[in-house]
Amino acid sequence: MSNLTETFSSNPADALVKAEAKSTGIRIDGFVVLVALIGLGLLGTLIYMETAPFLVGLFFLGGLLGVALYHGAFGFTAGWRNLIVKKESAGLRAQLILIALASLLMIPVLGSGQPGMVGAVAPVGLSLIVGSFLFGLGMQLGGGCGSGTLFTVGAGNLRMTVTLIFFIIGSLVGTFHLPWWLDRPGTDPISLISGFGVTGALIVQGIALLAVYLWIRKVEQKSHGHVSHADIQFRPGEKGWGATLLTGRWPFMWAVVVLAVGNLLTLLISGSPWSITFAFGLWGAKVAQAFGMDMSQYEFWTWDFPAQALRDSVLVNVTSVMNFGLLLGAMLAAGLANNFNATGKNLPQLKPFLAAIIGGLLMGYGARLGFGCNVGAFFSGIASASLHGWIWFASAFLGSIIGVKLRPKFSLPD
Amino acid sequence: MYRKHRVIFALLAIFALIMVDHLHSPTFAFNTGQGNARTSLNQLDVGACAPCGAPCPSSRD
Repeated sequence: MSNLTETFSSNPADALVKAEAKSTGIRIDGFVVLVALIGLGLLGTLIYMETAPFLVGLFFLGGLLGVALYHGAFGFTAGWRNLIVKKESAGLRAQLILIALASLLMIPVLGSGQPGMVGAVAPVGLSLIVGSFLFGLGMQLGGGCGSGTLFTVGAGNLRMTVTLIFFIIGSLVGTFHLPWWLDRPGTDPISLISGFGVTGALIVQGIALLAVYLWIRKVEQKSHGHVSHADIQFRPGEKGWGATLLTGRWPFMWAVVVLAVGNLLTLLISGSPWSITFAFGLWGAKVAQAFGMDMSQYEFWTWDFPAQALRDSVLVNVTSVMNFGLLLGAMLAAGLANNFNATGKNLPQLKPFLAAIIGGLLMGYGARLGFGCNVGAFFSGIASASLHGWIWFASAFLGSIIGVKLRPKFSLPD
Repeated sequence: MYRKHRVIFALLAIFALIMVDHLHSPTFAFNTGQGNARTSLNQLDVGACAPCGAPCPSSRD
């Protein structure tokens, strides 16, 4: 926790924030809040002046998603680990509710056949299985998934910054190898909407999600003798609605609603669901290109979409713009929670540092081979009724089980 | 405890990288009056088989 007396300076804006904080009894980090707001304002203005209004909307939507991820402590990685290690299923059950709600919202839209709108569908094959397995393993070592890495970096976590840097490097290497993996056994995308229609896809998805929900609930019941209902909690804690909304921690259901509606809005505004990791490979490729590397020698960067993204500004790349918003949104939320850089006082140890590097590389490489991360493949993939999302889930969960077993070797806690 | 100047420096560095990338882009060239610059405001590729733009396995030789 940062010290308020040092955090608030003599700056008038800081003083204003301090005064408001005092009047409401809320402890916030005025400096971080102010810097995050200035960042959101500056970048939002630049995007507005140089690109198009829909990208400004996506930028601020990314910011809102960052706030929801931080205040909801919506970590996919920890949710899976809690089930594997402690047999506590509330986190993963909240994720399943999130996907169920997003499916209800997005499948009818995708099934309406509007032109210029595509779901997060992807091929099913060896590339997907290997990629998602590596991603699942890497996210337990790296300490966060795609969204988790991004929002914790925004919240000032230095170890996760190391993870992000190597995530980017791994993604770049993944783009070099993806064409080779695509030529291994596999099939074209399998959409449940195409196979069963909108209603059929909703029913099939609903049954599958309910089956997993009940199964992991049973695992918790068997292990603990009772089941936590944190996943369906809607009422805030003792801080009250307003203070909890502003400073966290949000009940899971608040984050679930914001993330599901946010994904729907992303689909409606940009034409495709929310994703995160494509931008990491893109940023890596831009840096490599700046150092003289000819990216056109790699097949991936000759495909229409990546080639366009590489050629043009990051400010017209939807994934990048939303990621920038997410980083600043998480920073804002961490400031409001007075928790920015909370782990900064702990010097990085060698083994956890090594785990961050390995985890980042595995996640980056795995996300490219697996056509996305926990957001782009798991959340958006299943919410788009794509079979690849389910296979990604199963394979990444298997990788996570291995990753959890490896964590003690890197001095990482359960 | 973080240092304020480091936070500001990190954000400025990211902002500078974004600006360098943008100033060398077709979108910026288009905005400054070079009408022949090829911008890509909408990069959505509905013909691709994956969100990253990968082609379908069935279309590969």
